[in-house]
Amino acid sequence: MAGIVLKARFPRRHVVEAVIRNVFRYLFQGAARNWARNFGSTAPALSSMTLLLFLSGLIGLTGFALNNLEQIEAGQASMLHVYLRDDADPTDVFTLHNRLALDPRVATVDYTSKAQALQHAQSVPGLPQLAGASGSNPFPASLDVQVKTIDDVAAVDAMARISPAVDPVYPTSYDRGAYQRFQSVLLAVAVAGIVFLGLLGFVAVTVTINSIRAAIHSRRDEVAILQLVGAPRWMVRGPFIVEGAITGSLAGGAAGLVTFGLALAGIAEGSASFSQFAPGVTVTAAAAAGLIVFAAGLGLGSGSSLLSVRRHLES
Amino acid sequence: MPYVFSRLVRPDARKAQGRPLVEFNGVTRAYGSRLALDEVDFRLEPGELAFLVGPSGAGKTTLLKLINRELRPTQGEVWIDGIAAHELKASRVAELRRRVGVVFQDYKLLPRLTARENVALALQVGDLRVSDREARERALDALDAVGLGDRGDSMPHELSGGQQQRVAVARAVIRKPPLLIADEPTGNLDMETAWGITDLLEDIAAFGITVLVATHNIEIVTRLQRRVLTLVNGRLVRDQPAGQTGRMAWLASS
Repeated sequence: MAGIVLKARFPRRHVVEAVIRNVFRYLFQGAARNWARNFGSTAPALSSMTLLLFLSGLIGLTGFALNNLEQIEAGQASMLHVYLRDDADPTDVFTLHNRLALDPRVATVDYTSKAQALQHAQSVPGLPQLAGASGSNPFPASLDVQVKTIDDVAAVDAMARISPAVDPVYPTSYDRGAYQRFQSVLLAVAVAGIVFLGLLGFVAVTVTINSIRAAIHSRRDEVAILQLVGAPRWMVRGPFIVEGAITGSLAGGAAGLVTFGLALAGIAEGSASFSQFAPGVTVTAAAAAGLIVFAAGLGLGSGSSLLSVRRHLES
Repeated sequence: MPYVFSRLVRPDARKAQGRPLVEFNGVTRAYGSRLALDEVDFRLEPGELAFLVGPSGAGKTTLLKLINRELRPTQGEVWIDGIAAHELKASRVAELRRRVGVVFQDYKLLPRLTARENVALALQVGDLRVSDREARERALDALDAVGLGDRGDSMPHELSGGQQQRVAVARAVIRKPPLLIADEPTGNLDMETAWGITDLLEDIAAFGITVLVATHNIEIVTRLQRRVLTLVNGRLVRDQPAGQTGRMAWLASS
């Protein structure tokens, strides 16, 4: 053994630094390099995922607006207007008011006089002309009853319309089927949206799984060598999942920005009418939608890659 | 003597315990209805150099894959350095592979990395605490030990077959594994280069690493006079101890 140099162990003072550097190199740097190199096979996944996420963002925002509309509609549907005869006895009106106010199913009862009804009608588009065309005030006085739950509106209506103070021709605003019809339309829209999103999601996941499968195939020798030199499983699988996460976050970022931008443009352009058409869609809601789309992209990309790696990469 | 191997020497607890480094107990491996290995039993002691010979399709590669847990036996037990490879979960295979250096006929070097980076890779993926500087210096030491100290920055395609195989050997031993398996390591090399690789494997065994070489090269087997395990149709038909291999004329004619 003459002449043999025996070196001391390398100092491990910078262990944390070395671990961070190695994890970054083998997990993230390698994944980013491979992602850029395989861009051709990743592009279809990137574009289909961007499209899916953008449509998801739009559908999500629309769903949010429709949900708010439904809340408003439910509130309006549980508001029962009991129209009073012009010649109603004030005692009858008082009795009816008291009976409604004491009913446990009723939240509030407010009296609207004919003058207040006319004033309100003049603020509603189209009605001022109607009000002006008639020499007298055509709008009746009413008791505006806020029923606690929409299911009790029919019973409260039945109780109110038998009062002698109530207009026998047009007693209340209650329309038995209106709210149900609105709910049915909403349900159909929601189901269609979910089916559409499910279909797009399936396509995006399938395309991503296949793009990662192609990446695994193109790097099978490298994977085999890493496995044979004792690389832990996370080091072999991790870069592919990071690649999927890169695809997903880029797609999510782009789709989130477009969703946010479109919503912002709608808010700026439409102002008052936009808030009626899409209630609740504010700048904050649009930003939240953009962030959710980004997070969904990240999750979708990494999740699809994980599925692909589990299915196509042998230990 | 290449100094890198001197650092591979360590007090061998296994010898003291009398536990073999590789142990096959009644190992059978089937591919469908075909038996690739049939009731194979053998042991390899620490520091032993043994050859695994047999005709094509005899089961040599299957046996090596069982050692490295690329395959699981259909029946029987495979123990490697005290690890039950036959029942090892996929999540723990890396632990076993860090104890087994592997050399292939086709070298299996990563073409985008230099010779030094290929060797350093094996060191760092197995132990993330190894810094770049340490990995670089130890990789250069290992390359120096296999006679390629001046080719560390060469890409694999710039090296000859023999040099690539030396890089592969350096990569296999850089982490000081107790066992080195080689599947036809001289299969793609001319005779002179093959002798160089064989000398290298002998040196490695001399420093306490168990070496198992699957080969068709009868000339090397007969000249080295080391232990020879012969597989035919998946059965271990001969186990000749070192120095008693003779001319193996029977194998040459098989």
